[in-house]
Amino acid sequence: MSSSQIEIQLIASIVAIACAIPGTFLVLRKMAMISDAISHSILPGIVIGFFITQDLNSPVLIILAALTGILTVVLVEYIQKTGLVKEDTAIGLVFPILFSIGVILIAKNANDVHLDVDAVLLGELAFAPFDRMIIGGTDIGPKSLVIIGSILVLTIILLIAFFKELKISTFDAGLAASLGFSPTVIHYGLMTVSSVTTVGAFDAVGAILVVALMIAPAATAYLLTTDLKRMLLLAIVFGVTGAISGYWLAHFLDASIAGSITTMLGVIFFLVYLFAPSKGVIAVIYRERQQRTEVSLLTFLLHLKNHQEEEERHVNHLNEHINWQKVRSKTVVELAQKNNMIVIDNGVVSLTEKGEEFTSLAIDYIITNEDAKIEYMKDDFFLFRG
Amino acid sequence: MLGSFAVLRKQSLLGDAISHAALPGIAIAFLITGTKDSSVLQIGALISGLLGTFWIRGITTKTHLKSDTALGLILSLFFGFGMLLLTFIQKQPNANQAGLDKYLFGQAATLVESDVWLMAIVTGICLIILLLFWKEFKILLFDADYTKTLGFNTKFIDILITSFIVLAIVLGLQTVGVVLMSAMLLAPAAAARQWTNSLSFMVVLAAIFGAFAGVFGTAISASQTNLSTGPVIVIVAGVFVLFSFIFSPSRGLLFKQLRIIKNRRDLELHKTLAFMYHIAETHDNISHPHTIKILNNFQGYTTKTLKELEHKHYVTIQGNMWSLTEEGFKVASNLYNQQNAKDE
Repeated sequence: MSSSQIEIQLIASIVAIACAIPGTFLVLRKMAMISDAISHSILPGIVIGFFITQDLNSPVLIILAALTGILTVVLVEYIQKTGLVKEDTAIGLVFPILFSIGVILIAKNANDVHLDVDAVLLGELAFAPFDRMIIGGTDIGPKSLVIIGSILVLTIILLIAFFKELKISTFDAGLAASLGFSPTVIHYGLMTVSSVTTVGAFDAVGAILVVALMIAPAATAYLLTTDLKRMLLLAIVFGVTGAISGYWLAHFLDASIAGSITTMLGVIFFLVYLFAPSKGVIAVIYRERQQRTEVSLLTFLLHLKNHQEEEERHVNHLNEHINWQKVRSKTVVELAQKNNMIVIDNGVVSLTEKGEEFTSLAIDYIITNEDAKIEYMKDDFFLFRG
Repeated sequence: MLGSFAVLRKQSLLGDAISHAALPGIAIAFLITGTKDSSVLQIGALISGLLGTFWIRGITTKTHLKSDTALGLILSLFFGFGMLLLTFIQKQPNANQAGLDKYLFGQAATLVESDVWLMAIVTGICLIILLLFWKEFKILLFDADYTKTLGFNTKFIDILITSFIVLAIVLGLQTVGVVLMSAMLLAPAAAARQWTNSLSFMVVLAAIFGAFAGVFGTAISASQTNLSTGPVIVIVAGVFVLFSFIFSPSRGLLFKQLRIIKNRRDLELHKTLAFMYHIAETHDNISHPHTIKILNNFQGYTTKTLKELEHKHYVTIQGNMWSLTEEGFKVASNLYNQQNAKDE
């Protein structure tokens, strides 16, 4: 690995961490799309900043861009507050218009400078190491590394300082307000941090990747845990993993680094989405099926308990009476037998003692409207789950 | 047109997500076929757009992630993957690849006659389907559960609407580009929503707004050099929305504000009248004159309200004195009764 390769990976990883922190809160606050809006609408801010300073490296650009980001949030909220349209429509209206203004400004006035839309949207990480930051004649590293590094430090300081406030206002805005922190201040603080991070990062990795880095690791982590600290940590881990593996994928395919980092994040999310232990799709589908079989089992046992007559309890009759397909009744009967709840004697099904006990308890719970307790009961009675 | 449904279904940002999600489809279609024929690319875009949409739905129904997260996720992941493929294509030794990126920002000028025909045909089909399934669409939109109990296949209708939204977006991509497509979908519908509460009227109005935005936008961008079409169209559409927000008669901000002011004035008028009534009540003769000065202590009293009361013949004014008229007394005594009756 050459030093520039290491630097690229370092930049990508730091951007990933810097994005993952506000991203986690955005995902939890159901404001993920705001990051998309911000990443687009900072364009006019950058363009105007460029007109003022005529210098792409000026910090004024970052400040103006962050201001446009906040302006977006304010506008979205204002439109939403009028009650004329819903929040998502408001977002969908504000950012394309701001973006259009930015594009037109570029097209009209900035033809001769290297400020084109592609670069803003997509960024090019590969060139980041060549843009050095030189202070007092000494080379202290790539410029974007310094910028995003300082943003990261700032974010972490803010995170630690306001962790408690952020946590409370995210999960219970009412409680936060009653405890005396203003949710509005926290909200705009978070928005400001998101804007600044977006602006700082887009230079290196492009606006789309910023959105991906904010949302994808946080969403992936959210599938795996419900603990805020662990979620933050996992989001950071996923972000960095995606960044580094994405870099090598890009190296291998000779393609855009931002694109391949996003792709890797997508792959990670997809895997977790499928295989996450309790919230993954496979687990959910499996659980749904288990629930369905167990509910069927309960219905079946209740039916047996209600009917003492032999003809109502005959195996052949059950099929038509409860109106299940053959396969399903077979699964249910087998499950009941495995759990020692029924015996089949000469084609007639009867409840065992254990089955009786289980069913009576279940009826009690259903009558007293405490259906949830059936779940615990299942743990006690079942040897095998559905 | 279809945007109306998206706006009313609270799926506004779906347009944005789909337009981004279409990118890998375009790239893959190009990789497989090696042609730049727009219909082939659009089929690719359509497939990946639909894939994105259904994955979004899968995420929201199967996991506890919210729809905004799902949208943002699919949007950025698909787009990033698309970018990866595009840059990958650019490195390929194939001279034919230039111009794929026009899909990113759109260039109405690159449209050829066959594209326009294709759009016209698809729009026609959309229109026919819309008319055929009008009732179903409408009922699903406003009361999904009721639709289900009526025995309609909600899933099918749902997929139908979504597919058409995706189709419309994919077609529009070439004209206004990925980023601005969502505004094209939303802005006319959001503007139309302000003017009417009727779905059919809203759809027609949205179509008209959209068409106007398109025509004006293209005209403006053609009249100036260096002005790309897409952004101009979007800004024109945005102006429509702003105009609608402010000036729409029933929902607009301007009229709402006027109504608030009018209500406040009415209330003050009534308050003053009620105050006068209470003073007049203490006298045998209701028309007994009082000085205007005693009104000064009362909040809500202005000379203007007094003049208006006189104008309505509720009071008569002589010099510094006012007195309640017969009519004014009657109105004032009924003031609270009316309100009570209304409350009940």
